[in-house]
Amino acid sequence: PADIRDAAQARVRRAPAPVTDVARLCVCDLLVAQCDVSCCCDPDCSAEDFSLFTSCSVPVVTGDSHLCRQKAAVYSLDVEANPPERIFKLIDQVNPSIFCIHATNYEQALYLKSPEIPTPENFDQLLEKFGGATFSAEPDSWNLDTDAQNPPDANETSRYEYGVPVQTEEAFLRLPSPVVSSWCSDANPAGFLVNQATKCIRSVSVEKCDSIQALSMLFYINSSILAVPKSSQMVNITVQSIVVQSVNGMRTLLSSGDVLRLPMVLDELCINAVLGVNYHITYTDTGEIIEAAAAFVLGAISKEALSIEQSFQISFTQENTQPVPLSGNPGYVVGLPIRAGFQPQGYPSPAAFLFAALSSNKHSQLTILHSTSTQDCLAAQGARAPVLFGYNMISGCKLRITAAMKCQPLAQTLLDVLKGQSFPEYVASFGNSQAQDVLDWVPITQLHISEQMISHTLQSSCQIPVSLGIEVKWTKYGSLVNPQARIVNVTATVTTTTLKQLPSRRERIIPITSSVVFTDISSPAEPSYKAWPTIDIKLPFDFFYPFV
Amino acid sequence: SSQLSSLPLQILLYVNGIYYIFYFLATLAMIIYKSQVFSYPDDLLAPDLAVLFLMAILEMPRLYLGFKGNLTEAEAPLGLSLGLTVGSVVLSVYLLLWQAYVLWADVLLNALLLSAYALESGLKVTAIAAFVS
Repeated sequence: PADIRDAAQARVRRAPAPVTDVARLCVCDLLVAQCDVSCCCDPDCSAEDFSLFTSCSVPVVTGDSHLCRQKAAVYSLDVEANPPERIFKLIDQVNPSIFCIHATNYEQALYLKSPEIPTPENFDQLLEKFGGATFSAEPDSWNLDTDAQNPPDANETSRYEYGVPVQTEEAFLRLPSPVVSSWCSDANPAGFLVNQATKCIRSVSVEKCDSIQALSMLFYINSSILAVPKSSQMVNITVQSIVVQSVNGMRTLLSSGDVLRLPMVLDELCINAVLGVNYHITYTDTGEIIEAAAAFVLGAISKEALSIEQSFQISFTQENTQPVPLSGNPGYVVGLPIRAGFQPQGYPSPAAFLFAALSSNKHSQLTILHSTSTQDCLAAQGARAPVLFGYNMISGCKLRITAAMKCQPLAQTLLDVLKGQSFPEYVASFGNSQAQDVLDWVPITQLHISEQMISHTLQSSCQIPVSLGIEVKWTKYGSLVNPQARIVNVTATVTTTTLKQLPSRRERIIPITSSVVFTDISSPAEPSYKAWPTIDIKLPFDFFYPFV
Repeated sequence: SSQLSSLPLQILLYVNGIYYIFYFLATLAMIIYKSQVFSYPDDLLAPDLAVLFLMAILEMPRLYLGFKGNLTEAEAPLGLSLGLTVGSVVLSVYLLLWQAYVLWADVLLNALLLSAYALESGLKVTAIAAFVS
């Protein structure tokens, strides 16, 4: 009935009145129905609780201090009494200043504004103002276009700098990313030289899949990038490759990788929906973008799916260079792989170029054996893990020796298992050592230790390697407040043991281990300070004339 | 013949003029102070400033007419000045009671101004009575 509805509306419209009586206000009463510690104004505290307090966290509760006369609630503890009790006094506080507020005709002057209660009339306006993931008092400041025209530096030269959003014709190069929740927000700009990888969830529906912009390839490549900010030179985004992912997850690379494929509905599936975009931007050393390419992963969405996960990545490469991920700049960063390399054959002198190992080429990195579930050494060939700076690792496998095995091939196989196919000869001393600087590379010292130290072991008896221990000695280098890790010495120790001939039909299992240990050999640092300035005063030569 | 112009009225008008300059500057400065320290939205600041400037505009003819009327012993300018005084009193009462923020200094200044107006009005009525008869 209408009157009940009106009453309900009337109830909803009246917000609870703000409490302004200082005797009832308590700032430290945070726990509901429980006594807060040291809160003398808490109504939930009993006299026994007050006797346990040592001090009052809130001694005075007043209104605005600018008022000429106001009531103030004063709470204190009388520690002389036994047991200590709380004293509550309501006093008149007087502000002696001549500029105290005598009266005010503006109710909101002294109290915080009560928020607007949503009603059917103002709901749309409130939703528009506060309904997004972010809101601010001045909505114009979130306008992307004005941001594009007002970069942080007013007198910026015409080039991109680190972190500046990459500009396109309309606004920015968008890299959808999760904001606040996991849902994709298209308002995240890609920063120049900021390599990012994001994953977010987008809500989809198969019926409308060809009208959802974010699922189509065009959305990601239709705006051209400005080569320098605020210029008219455009760089088109080309399609580098397209990988199609089938419903069961198998990915195939399309040979005709530059044909535009738009999403469409086929047999209750939405095919050619964008599941991932990988941007590769090439720039010059003057901060200008010269090339942009995007690699897509397209997939199919089934009818039941209400949301899909999209992943986005952007990486920046300088022109005419190979992207070599650094392991630190300059000192090694814990967790990044150790960079290693070889001195190529045919170069006689040490002042020659080394081929630095690329991280993508796993076979020429410094690696150790990676334990597998079968723990069989001979089956484990090929499973290697890169050595990461600062992470001590130990791994191993078990070797089954039968009587039929011959010594020499077995020793060679085990050495391959321990060291890998191409064990490097040099290790970079800094995380960013360049291949041309020969002095920045540390040679790996190889040691062979035999387990049996007893000299009566015949030389001709079979020695097989059973463990490889890599010890990396590093030191702290540079300033005291920002020390950089520098590798000083790498020693690879191969321990061998004698293989006794087994009687036929007998087997032995021996464990093979490999380990990496990082040792900090920094010498204790002494801070050095600038010398105190000395005062150099000399009296003039004839100061005591005519007495001297 | 004896002089009908009222000397106390003349003195009071003179002092009132000087006091009013001080009152105007002090009230303006306090409004500026209030707008910086407190939350003073524009739709409340505008009427208060308008009242203050209106009072300043009224004060100049009011004092001039008072001086002229008293010195020339004419009751018409004095009567007009009395009428303008009523307007000034209303504006001063507004600033005393209905401003957005009434500071203690505001109360003192306005109370002093209102008492000066009251005394002035009394002396003007007496002077008019003396001139007419």
